[in-house]
Amino acid sequence: MKRRSSFSRAVFIGTIVFLFMPLFVLVLYSFNESKSGSWTGFSLRWYIKLFSDSPDLWRAFGNSAIIALGSALVATVIGTLGAIGVNWYRFRLRSYLRTVTFLPMILPEIIIGVSLLIFFSGLGFKLGLFTVFVAHVSFNLPFVFLLVLARLEEFDFSIIEAARDLGANDTQTLMKVIVPMTMPGIVSGFLTAVTLSLEDFVITFFVTGPGATTLPLYVYSAIRFGVSPVINALSVVMILGTIALTWSMRNFLKYIAAK
Amino acid sequence: MFKKFAFTAILVAVTILGSACGGAKEKLYLYNWTYYIPEDVIKDFSKESGIQVIVDAYSSNEEMYNKLVAGGSGYDIVVPSGDYVSIMIAEGLLAPMDLAKIPNFKNIDPVALARIGFDKGNKNSVPFMMGAAGISVNTTRASGYERSWSIFEKPELKGRMTMLDDMREVLGGALKYLGYSVNDTDPAHLEEARQVVERWKPNLVKFDAEAFARGFAGGEFWVVQGYAENVFLEYEEARHAEIDFFFPTEGMPMYMDSFCILKGAKNVDAAYAFINFMLRPDIAARVSDYLMLPSPNVPARAFMTVAPNYEFEDLEKGEFKEDLGLEGLKLYNDVWRRIRVGN
Amino acid sequence: MKRGPGGLYATPAIVWLTVFFIAPLFIIVLYSFLRPGLRGGVEWSLTFDAYRAIANPTFAKVTLNTIVVALGATLVTLLIALPCGYYMARSKNQTLLLLLVIIPFWTNFLIRIYAWIAILGNEGFLNDMLQALGLTNDSIRFLYNRWAVALVLVYTYLPYAILPLFSTIDKFDFSLLEAARDLGASKFGAIRRVLMPNIKGGVLTAFLFTFIPIFGAYAVPLLVGGTESYMLGNLIADELTKSRNWPLASAISLVITLVTTIGVMLLVRANGANVLGGGKEASEAKAEQSAPLLNASLVALPHSGGGAS
Repeated sequence: MKRRSSFSRAVFIGTIVFLFMPLFVLVLYSFNESKSGSWTGFSLRWYIKLFSDSPDLWRAFGNSAIIALGSALVATVIGTLGAIGVNWYRFRLRSYLRTVTFLPMILPEIIIGVSLLIFFSGLGFKLGLFTVFVAHVSFNLPFVFLLVLARLEEFDFSIIEAARDLGANDTQTLMKVIVPMTMPGIVSGFLTAVTLSLEDFVITFFVTGPGATTLPLYVYSAIRFGVSPVINALSVVMILGTIALTWSMRNFLKYIAAK
Repeated sequence: MFKKFAFTAILVAVTILGSACGGAKEKLYLYNWTYYIPEDVIKDFSKESGIQVIVDAYSSNEEMYNKLVAGGSGYDIVVPSGDYVSIMIAEGLLAPMDLAKIPNFKNIDPVALARIGFDKGNKNSVPFMMGAAGISVNTTRASGYERSWSIFEKPELKGRMTMLDDMREVLGGALKYLGYSVNDTDPAHLEEARQVVERWKPNLVKFDAEAFARGFAGGEFWVVQGYAENVFLEYEEARHAEIDFFFPTEGMPMYMDSFCILKGAKNVDAAYAFINFMLRPDIAARVSDYLMLPSPNVPARAFMTVAPNYEFEDLEKGEFKEDLGLEGLKLYNDVWRRIRVGN
Repeated sequence: MKRGPGGLYATPAIVWLTVFFIAPLFIIVLYSFLRPGLRGGVEWSLTFDAYRAIANPTFAKVTLNTIVVALGATLVTLLIALPCGYYMARSKNQTLLLLLVIIPFWTNFLIRIYAWIAILGNEGFLNDMLQALGLTNDSIRFLYNRWAVALVLVYTYLPYAILPLFSTIDKFDFSLLEAARDLGASKFGAIRRVLMPNIKGGVLTAFLFTFIPIFGAYAVPLLVGGTESYMLGNLIADELTKSRNWPLASAISLVITLVTTIGVMLLVRANGANVLGGGKEASEAKAEQSAPLLNASLVALPHSGGGAS
């Protein structure tokens, strides 16, 4: 058994080293005193600057947070309802919806960005936070839809019939039976949407407008022009933040699953 | 469970929205070249006027213009070069400039004003900076070159040189090299210029208008076509003597970047206040010191503490970029696409 | 399957995706047949100029370059991802290994690219190391060429390949492999003839979810590439944001859309239900990997396959 997987283990270990190397460099340089590449000494100055003197960065962060939470919320509501509809009911356009939700998975991001920009521009939309929000809902929705659908497929329609037999109306069935049952899928969908939104650069790049700089766009311009190691400090903080969030989310989900 | 969760999510969203929109301060949306105005100058303006400035950046006139045309309205001030000032006037994108609201306009050098062909009488624009992209050479790496566009033909520098990702600058350079005008729209001349650039291209690492200065400062690139201010700002100060910045002997395209207020701008008063602030001698001097560029602002020159990297006299061999006209623009676009795409 | 309020529930999703996803795709079809407005936008007159431009041999070079880079990077990614997925599936510590693969992706993807610039740069980590070890005297320029682009692309999309492969291999019944070996097959022979056919769906999924985004890559070649690594994504972006030839940008986008959609359909059809099943799984896998937070659910929820073996 051990001998058999020696090759795959070597590849795996090599891969992990490869994957972690940039992280290691980021952490190292975030404590570097000098602005240039070479190591000149330990310093916390970039962390201090990050928290005390980076107003543009934090404004971008604020924009990202608004867009991520807002678009995830809308996408989760719409996507969940769509998944419930598709899973248990028959209606016109059912297969259309299934196909359409699959498309974003197989199209390169740039196509989505370009088509949305041309669409917004052709219709005379003003580019800005609103167009970014709309774009994010659009690419988040299918993910929520599919994740909730995967959860729903584990259940039987008889549950709904039972609820109806006990006298529940449609709204009650939805809110009291289906939604609680689907909760883990919904939460997964919401979290996916939040992270996809926080991560997106390409689509946002095309549809952004005045004052709608998100964190990835800020990072992009920081990489292109006059970079300062504040970015290193920021990424270390982001990693730690994600670990903390994941940890609490994990416990939260375990708690839901246990219920 | 769901209700609680949704409630929390909404609460969080509302709080963030609230804090983001909170403090209904007067705002000003500025769309500017990267690196062009130091952060602390903007900060001081906000402190003095109480106006919050939101700055977005672009790296070429084309990029700025396209964002605006695609629906990026909502900016109050843009800073196009002369050729784009005339294009934007023709397209009706600019609001008229009321010079009475900019008392500091009187500070601008009449010699500079006299050279403005794109907006005579400053009906839509107010000059900010005049200059040109040049060539920077890392002298610890390259030597024995002529201060000419021909430096891009040197095979020993292959893979260590960049030019701007800006068709007017690159084609303009090639046209000057051939002895033509930077505004030449003769297809035969442009074809010659294209061949020149195709000759340079194999020696170039990339066309880049954004990160060239960083690469130059890091020793990645040894010869870059670009704006002096970017190069000197990125390069370690103690080693500035290593940089040879020059304008090629054959001449080069030059620009006059001007403040313009966009038609439909919501914060016109703030915009005037900002422009007037920028033309104040002490502020103009700070900007010029930061950029290490000569100031078109006469009284500002007395306030300057840093020697500029070139003087206006050095620009004499330069030629202003002008609007090419619709057909000329199409021609340039096509030639530039061929250069980018074919390799 | 019943009649009921399903249509009502699904209406918002249908309307939203139709308006903001399908309609924009149709608009680029329309735009690709129009004449570019010289100062932005389009003129409303029919022309095939954009397609004629694409057919021009100068474009072939960019297309070819894009295909070469995308195929090469995808292939390398798969070759790395297969043994990784295999190792993870056979491990007792799946949760930990999954986390190890995913944690590096908890930073923004631009920051990861930036980290690579810091590593490969002239005064970067790698050059410093090489010089410290006395292997080179002068810095080597690793950045701004096709190799740098390929390297960063592989890095970026590795998990997209590892995760679906892991989840497929994890479902494979390894006693079959042992049976094959008992019957005298060599180790790699058994893997090739028994394991591979059974995980074809996963391999295909991994291929698609690596190849497609790389094919449309824009930021990576822009940031770490040079003149020779210009890809279709860059061409689209330049036409859209600089040369203002929207019809051309639309036409190229449309070609990419058609190629990917038809490609996916053909692959799905050729592999029948096997892949259709894998397709749904793929979307889930993609969601899981692109969403670090979600991996909490991977760990916590038994159905997602994390600690399921």
